[in-house]
Amino acid sequence: MKTGKNINRRGFIKNAAIGIIGLPLLSNTYGIIAPSDKIRIAHIGMGNMGRAHLKWFSGFSDVETVALCDVDKIRLREKYKILQEINPNTRTDTYTDFRHILDRKDIDVITCATPDHWHALIAIMAFQSGKDVYGEKPLSYNVEEGQVMKKCMEHNNSIFQLGTQIHAGENYHRVVEIIQSGILGKIHTVRLWKTEGSPGLGFPPAEIPPDTLDWDMWLGPAPYEEYTPVRCFGSFRHFFDYSGGVFGDFWCHIADIVYMSLNPQGLYSIDTRGERPDDGIADTPRWIEADFKFKDLDLYWTTTPPPVPGAEEMYIGAHFEGTNGSLTCDYYTRKIRIGNEIIDEIPEVPKTITRSPGHQRNFLDAVKSREQPESNIAYVREMTLPMHLALISFRLKRKLKWNSLIEQFEGDNAANYLLSRAYRAPWFLPE
Amino acid sequence: MKKFILINLFVTLIFTSCFTQENDRFSSLFNGKNLSKWTLGEEGGFEVIKGELYTSSFGKGNNLFTKKWYCNYVLRLEYMLSDVGNSGVIIRCDPQAPWETGVEVQLLAPWTPRRDDLHCTGSLYGHVTVTNRPDETTGIWHKMEIKCDRKTITVSVDDTITTLANIDTVKTMEDKFLCGAIGLQVNHANIEGQYAKFRNIYIRDLDSETEYVTGGFYEKDTKLRSQAHAAAITLGAKMVEPLAIIMSGENPVAKSGSKQVLFDIVARATAPQTAEIYKNDVAIALKNSAKSTSSEITRNYLEWLRGMIGSSDQ
Repeated sequence: MKTGKNINRRGFIKNAAIGIIGLPLLSNTYGIIAPSDKIRIAHIGMGNMGRAHLKWFSGFSDVETVALCDVDKIRLREKYKILQEINPNTRTDTYTDFRHILDRKDIDVITCATPDHWHALIAIMAFQSGKDVYGEKPLSYNVEEGQVMKKCMEHNNSIFQLGTQIHAGENYHRVVEIIQSGILGKIHTVRLWKTEGSPGLGFPPAEIPPDTLDWDMWLGPAPYEEYTPVRCFGSFRHFFDYSGGVFGDFWCHIADIVYMSLNPQGLYSIDTRGERPDDGIADTPRWIEADFKFKDLDLYWTTTPPPVPGAEEMYIGAHFEGTNGSLTCDYYTRKIRIGNEIIDEIPEVPKTITRSPGHQRNFLDAVKSREQPESNIAYVREMTLPMHLALISFRLKRKLKWNSLIEQFEGDNAANYLLSRAYRAPWFLPE
Repeated sequence: MKKFILINLFVTLIFTSCFTQENDRFSSLFNGKNLSKWTLGEEGGFEVIKGELYTSSFGKGNNLFTKKWYCNYVLRLEYMLSDVGNSGVIIRCDPQAPWETGVEVQLLAPWTPRRDDLHCTGSLYGHVTVTNRPDETTGIWHKMEIKCDRKTITVSVDDTITTLANIDTVKTMEDKFLCGAIGLQVNHANIEGQYAKFRNIYIRDLDSETEYVTGGFYEKDTKLRSQAHAAAITLGAKMVEPLAIIMSGENPVAKSGSKQVLFDIVARATAPQTAEIYKNDVAIALKNSAKSTSSEITRNYLEWLRGMIGSSDQ
């Protein structure tokens, strides 16, 4: 539930921002933004990405880090120390239960870098408590969660940014301009790849969780399972109980450039092949090949680089095939092939797209302006969706037909069953 | 007296039923009439004569292979060789490249100069010697049993073990297939009129037995586990309860395999082209196993899988 107090606080930040623009002289006179104008942020999930969030956001003068949260006390202590190094006078609070953060009315924004199976629920509960969210990828654990997140965010007038920071980079913006200029002709095929898949992780026996870890809270809405270290921390994503493996992890980063430049519509068929690891308890794809058919585009994903020039040396990439030429890119580089010419820039294509001030800055600006940021929920939900569908096709080992209007598979109720998952009590996905 | 007859009858019944059970597990590969379970090559080489399978070709003729591929099995047959008959049973092979992929259990009359223990009847030709040389008398029927039990191959002739091979200890066999067709080698003695004959060919397919397949889930070797997983998916409903028991156990290797294969069984059960009976049987097995398991983790998982099957009924 959103409280009046929260609306007021948001309104205040927005007015303060306008105030600064409106009164530059005053702002210059004082030189700094008054402490009350600061965005008060809390970070939930203190692994590697949590540390990145901590560092990124504490680098902004209009952000105050108010709270940190993790179900693992060791990680929590480690990250608190990092914060103390950045700011010795920090008065940041630490929690092992994120609900304490959501209860605090003095917090404006949370970042979420938990395992995937917590992403949606934490964001939804944050929206309900009047907070904005910078959430790590992927958006959600399954399709239904993404649908509910969007609805809930809109209902609460919240701001959401997905942590696809590559989106903000110069290369993707330039690739979009080149693709959209039409110089390569009509793009009919895109090939995406990411080398390596999930490792098996061996067969460790079940253990009693350490006292420093709240294992039940770590599992949260996921099915109960006995504890073993490889199930959580750095390797949780190789279990379908919590995530979608390397494929689910990297999809958003590289599919982003396809959606940014072509925004393909009318997905109607997903055919996936692949194998699980056979040397451990992990069950997400060791390798995966997915064929997606959109109304006007064929999109392919492979674990090995496609047979196109230059792809072999790239661990991740996108290859656009147009009627006049092709473009191969990764996060930071691009190669354009037109006839026999291989170039990385076409000066005739004008720069038309406004560059991002940086992915985190873009989000903070959105918190103030109340305009949705670059990796907003409507955009990233559509961009993430094919990944979930491919994993369902992988698990069921069959080709699936998709109705993109009603977001349901056609003639396959078992596949539709896997679009959602009932939460383990006491957790539930709000309507 | 009456009591004695009853007991006698009872004992007889027990014996009969045990005997029947053992035999029930074997099915015939050769009906004595035609080669319906076999693929005859273009050049022939085999024919059915008076209920026996006869190969006597000279200079031409193809080897004969089962249509179906088998992984783990007990094969029983009777054979007879003429004075210089030369044939063999090729196991776990791809008919396109039988000797590269599989191995030959030799059947050879003892006249030839190359009849050492590595190339005589009962040997895994060129790979493993006989340790117990069989009776090689020609012109009479001998019994042969070949057991392919994962990495162990056992050959018996006339009810005596002649050859025991552990594949892992035989360097030349390390790349051999673990599944394949069963082949009978065309008689290839260099003299006209020579023959090999077969009759009473029976197979017990171990991969159709839940207990055997269950054992494969505990194997250390990845290939053997994958083999057991595939066999379990084929068996479907019959494997649900054994897998639920494994999943509730202590062995991490078997536990994770059983969890994944239970999913695969349900995935197959819900596929549009799968027979209704496979699906219904799996649904019933899931329900019963969920009721009987004492593990909450297993029960929740089975209930979740039931939901997946249930949803496909709508």
